[in-house]
Amino acid sequence: MASTLEIRDLHVSVEGKEILKGVTLTVKTGEIHSIMGPNGSGKSTLALALMGHPKYEVTKGEILFKGQNIVELEPNERARLGLFLAFQYPLEIQGVPLGRFLWAAKKALLGQSQDGQTDKKADAKALSQFRKELQEKMKLLKMDESFAQRYLNVGFSGGEKKRAEIVQMHILKPEIAILDETDSGLDIDSVKIVAEAVNQLRGPDFGALVITHYQRILNFLKPDYVHVMIDGRIVRSGDESLVHELEAKGYDWLINESKAEVS
Amino acid sequence: MTKKIEEVRHLGEKKRPIAEKERETYDRDYSRYAFSYPTDKYKYVLKPGLSREVIEEISAIKNEPKWMREFRLKAYEIFLKKPMPTWGGDLSHINFDTITYYATPTDKGARSWEDVPEEVKKTFDRLGIPEAERKFLAGVGAQYDSEVVYHSIREDLAKKGVIFLSMDEGLREYPDLVKEYFGTVIPPTDNKFAALNSAVWSGGSFIYVPKGVHVEIPLQAYFRINAPQMGQFERTLIIADEGARVHYIEGCLPGGEQVSVGDRWVNIESLKPGDYVIADNGEKARVRATMVRRYRGEMLTIKPISPYNAFRLTPEHPVLVVRRSRVLQRRKPRNGWLPEVDTEKLFTAQPEYVPAGELTVGDFLVFPKVQAHNYNPRYSPELLKLLGYYLAEGSAFIHKTLNVPVVSFSFGTHEKEVITEVCDLITKITGKDAYVTELKGRHAVNVTVYSQELFDVCTSSCGTGASSKRLSDELMALPPEQIEPLLTAYFVGDGNVCDKGNSVMYRAATASETLAQQIQELLARKGIYASIHVRPGGDDTINGRKIHRKDQYIIVYTADKRWSEIRQTDRYFLVPIKEIERAPYDGFVFNLDVEGPSSYLVRGFAVHNCTAPIYSKESLHAAVVELIAKRGAHLRYTTLQNWSNDVYNLVTKRAIAYEDATVEWVDANIGCLTADTKVFLNPRGAVNITEVKPNDWIYALDLNTMEIVKRPVKGIVCTGVKPVFKLITENYREIKATANHPFLALYRSEKHWHLVWKPLEQLQVGDLIAIIDELPPKEGKPAEFVRIKALEPLGEEAVYDIEVEGAHNFIANGLIVHNSRLTMKYPSVYMLGKGARADILSVAFAGKGQHQDTGGKAIHAAPYTTSTIVSKSVSKDGGRATYRGQLVVAKGAHHAKSNVRCDALILDEYSRSDTYPYIEIDEDQVTIGHEATVGKVGDDQIFYLMSRGLSESEALSMIVLGFMEPFTKTLPMEYAIEFNRLIQLEMEGSVG
Repeated sequence: MASTLEIRDLHVSVEGKEILKGVTLTVKTGEIHSIMGPNGSGKSTLALALMGHPKYEVTKGEILFKGQNIVELEPNERARLGLFLAFQYPLEIQGVPLGRFLWAAKKALLGQSQDGQTDKKADAKALSQFRKELQEKMKLLKMDESFAQRYLNVGFSGGEKKRAEIVQMHILKPEIAILDETDSGLDIDSVKIVAEAVNQLRGPDFGALVITHYQRILNFLKPDYVHVMIDGRIVRSGDESLVHELEAKGYDWLINESKAEVS
Repeated sequence: MTKKIEEVRHLGEKKRPIAEKERETYDRDYSRYAFSYPTDKYKYVLKPGLSREVIEEISAIKNEPKWMREFRLKAYEIFLKKPMPTWGGDLSHINFDTITYYATPTDKGARSWEDVPEEVKKTFDRLGIPEAERKFLAGVGAQYDSEVVYHSIREDLAKKGVIFLSMDEGLREYPDLVKEYFGTVIPPTDNKFAALNSAVWSGGSFIYVPKGVHVEIPLQAYFRINAPQMGQFERTLIIADEGARVHYIEGCLPGGEQVSVGDRWVNIESLKPGDYVIADNGEKARVRATMVRRYRGEMLTIKPISPYNAFRLTPEHPVLVVRRSRVLQRRKPRNGWLPEVDTEKLFTAQPEYVPAGELTVGDFLVFPKVQAHNYNPRYSPELLKLLGYYLAEGSAFIHKTLNVPVVSFSFGTHEKEVITEVCDLITKITGKDAYVTELKGRHAVNVTVYSQELFDVCTSSCGTGASSKRLSDELMALPPEQIEPLLTAYFVGDGNVCDKGNSVMYRAATASETLAQQIQELLARKGIYASIHVRPGGDDTINGRKIHRKDQYIIVYTADKRWSEIRQTDRYFLVPIKEIERAPYDGFVFNLDVEGPSSYLVRGFAVHNCTAPIYSKESLHAAVVELIAKRGAHLRYTTLQNWSNDVYNLVTKRAIAYEDATVEWVDANIGCLTADTKVFLNPRGAVNITEVKPNDWIYALDLNTMEIVKRPVKGIVCTGVKPVFKLITENYREIKATANHPFLALYRSEKHWHLVWKPLEQLQVGDLIAIIDELPPKEGKPAEFVRIKALEPLGEEAVYDIEVEGAHNFIANGLIVHNSRLTMKYPSVYMLGKGARADILSVAFAGKGQHQDTGGKAIHAAPYTTSTIVSKSVSKDGGRATYRGQLVVAKGAHHAKSNVRCDALILDEYSRSDTYPYIEIDEDQVTIGHEATVGKVGDDQIFYLMSRGLSESEALSMIVLGFMEPFTKTLPMEYAIEFNRLIQLEMEGSVG
């Protein structure tokens, strides 16, 4: 059964300032959506609000995921439902190796406590599987194995951080993933690697909302739907052809259009 | 001493309003309890004072060389001569029997190395960490993977010529080596406690690593054949000869007896300070501290009438008993029988605490009846009855195909009356009809009901599954009258009744250990002492079917108490000891320090906080650690101090680093002892000193008008764990303070009286000191003066100080005290050779109400020496971490380099961290660096981790553990895990 992320008339404020002014959008598993838009249009706000960042206050509207309104849920509860956010600026956590962190996260998603009494044999087996899987995924993203032992994002280059986000996504296997400008700061080869890794997850059980400035990544990803966000609203939706139109015309025609609509 | 306490109590009750806490610690009102505490019982361990004879005796028992005896005696002289005030001679608090005990060489039965990893494995198991994960965790301790390593450790060490023995053995086997170094780093003249330690030391480790030898694995106390005995006066000496390399770890790994926490029993090692246990009066009492120590010697198993309730104790552990010898009949004992007891005498006899080693078969143990009195209208007699049947014969499950909750009872076909009753009860409670199905050929009947309501009640108050049924806390708190229907039904359902002519015996069997304990407990409350027998599980055949039977706990009691050997009063049973087993033991032993009644229940029986003078705050504990790193050697010493376990550690720790040698001290401090000094705040009233916050208003004395005023608090500082003394005034105010804490005293010189702030150590019995007679204090009231009645040393405690604005004093326990001056005792390294290095890493965690004051001391006394002092601290919930580092560069130590780094992680806005570097430099060409970072956990970091599925507290723990990682990495696996676990415990409930 397809899972659906349904955003209805979402209004979000940050420190009292309204950034999203009524976003409506539905993402189902099996689909890749892309949101494009100029700087400051609210794309990242949408990503962070969907994941439940405490600073982003939903003032109106609903976020329904699998039929449940998740506006009041904690980020970890949203994660457990199958939502994932690849951060635009992944945070650095000193002293916590990537591998250890992901194992803890995976157990948390499975609802196992971090130190609870579990079946030791099963656990050991799960752990060895996990390590194998982690190695595979890192290979897929062309990351050196040693990254698993390195502290989370500490001393990673911009590109390594982004690729590590995609490794995390592969390990945690969300149903709907939000990729917040994962392509920015990546060279063309890296963009290709990341896009291929996302494509590999593509299928009836995986959906994604890809936020980006550039069409580069979309050339590899071939989104099913493309939306343009301007000033906190989605002003235009279409298929992949919209990307090319934007490339040709820039955002200005849409900005002017949306202004015209408002006035 | 006893007399003194009694007087105090007497006067205390009559005279003064005192703070609650003070009452508890001092004039405990024994009459509140069902029986009195023979405080004089401790006399058996106290001998009046330390003398040459005692020291000579210690030395003789240990068969020491003459020079050591002389060293001890000389140290004793120094100890006596060191300026010491009036209480100098009075050391009656110190338990010298213990020292003699420690001095007695125990048998040399070598411990198999196979045992060692078991111990460690148990710890892992207890922590619930799967093996694979242990390896994965940070990749630490790969060398700890296999038992083989442990096997080879001893051989390896021996091959390399490494000596690793207890200090006593070291002295016996290598007297010359010991003689060369012993007391050279910390001579007896260093300080009074070093002198005392030198005079009476016992236990500790002796390590010698020969030239050029690298010991790759950290040496831990339990690697040593003869286990360490964490004594009062431990002495450790480690010598790393030229170019040698060694790492030593002191710390403790907690295994155990079951202690009553009211509704059930738990393993003693799982208790934490702040938990509640049941004391000998049957009421809840708070655990002040938990203690663990390595014990090697005789272990007693005391077996009362109920074999299941047998428990193990060390011989010195006091147990509450009525000695049979005190309550005998006049009649001559009959052949082969224990002497008969006079019932009248037995009832009137006061139970007393007797060391387990002195007990004999036939003595009566005290089994207090745990008090329960929370009537709960939710439980009707019908419901309780049904729950009783459920406990006996019921099961609750979700029907697989129908997916509905089911509660089902099974009975024998002959139990017609019960079946009818259960059906009726079900209808009454749930409004539904029960289905009765007969299982043909098995002579069994099932009574089934589909009821969510009943399913919920049964599972939540009684659990599910034969071996995991247990009564909920709520049920266990019901008064005996209310719970009665449950008990009756349980015995009807599960038990059988055996009429033995003149008495009726009831039996019930269960596979649930907890349930058996709880039923025993409930029966006790209604005045029945039931025995529990264990029928071990195993493979069995029933009706031709092979089954695996679990352990069965069989509860038995006799209705007619006249024939029982057990007697009871309103509050406890007297249960005779059937057997006492003695066996050698080598392992960890646990103990609790319980507030108030100072006792707890082991398998239902009352025992005292173990021989309080040894490990409790009442004792003086002065250890000495000397480290010597010769040319080019590398020596690391790690301490994990005072986690949840209050084994007080050493006082004087010092290292000497010679040319090109490196010494590393790694010191972790989690949890600080909380002080019980009461101060008065406005408007909060009397609070413990640890609860004072900056900007609280505190009462102080205006020295111009000599009247009480209110002043704001600037700060509170835990100034470390230090020896403290008790000052008692003639009107029985008492306070605990360090020797240098100033008090306001009134002296007469010639014709004038004048006020002087005098440190406690200069005060004498009879001196007048300022007090506030009326508590709580009132503004404008004048101070009064009263004479000091007594001054007593008390041992080591964390001490606190308050900084008060505008008045450099405050009122504590009704006494006026000055803000104290600080003295610090920190691990220190003396760099005496060119190119020597000192690395000090100190880790502190300051939680709620805690103030950690840690640091280190580096003394550069040679050119080209380098020191690094790193402090990592975490503070949360208003905790305060203070770092003090002292750096001395002596004249001639040119080109000395020092770097001090303090990293603090502050988890909330209420907590704080301070750094105080003290630097004394007598040389020009030096490089000194100091950096401090203060980190706060950002919302974004928490959000990032939570977005991956971790809860807020897991996320926070992860960040804190990450911050501590540079320290954790230096630890061997088992310590790292224990450390992480403790941090996680500290972090639990810190958010949300």
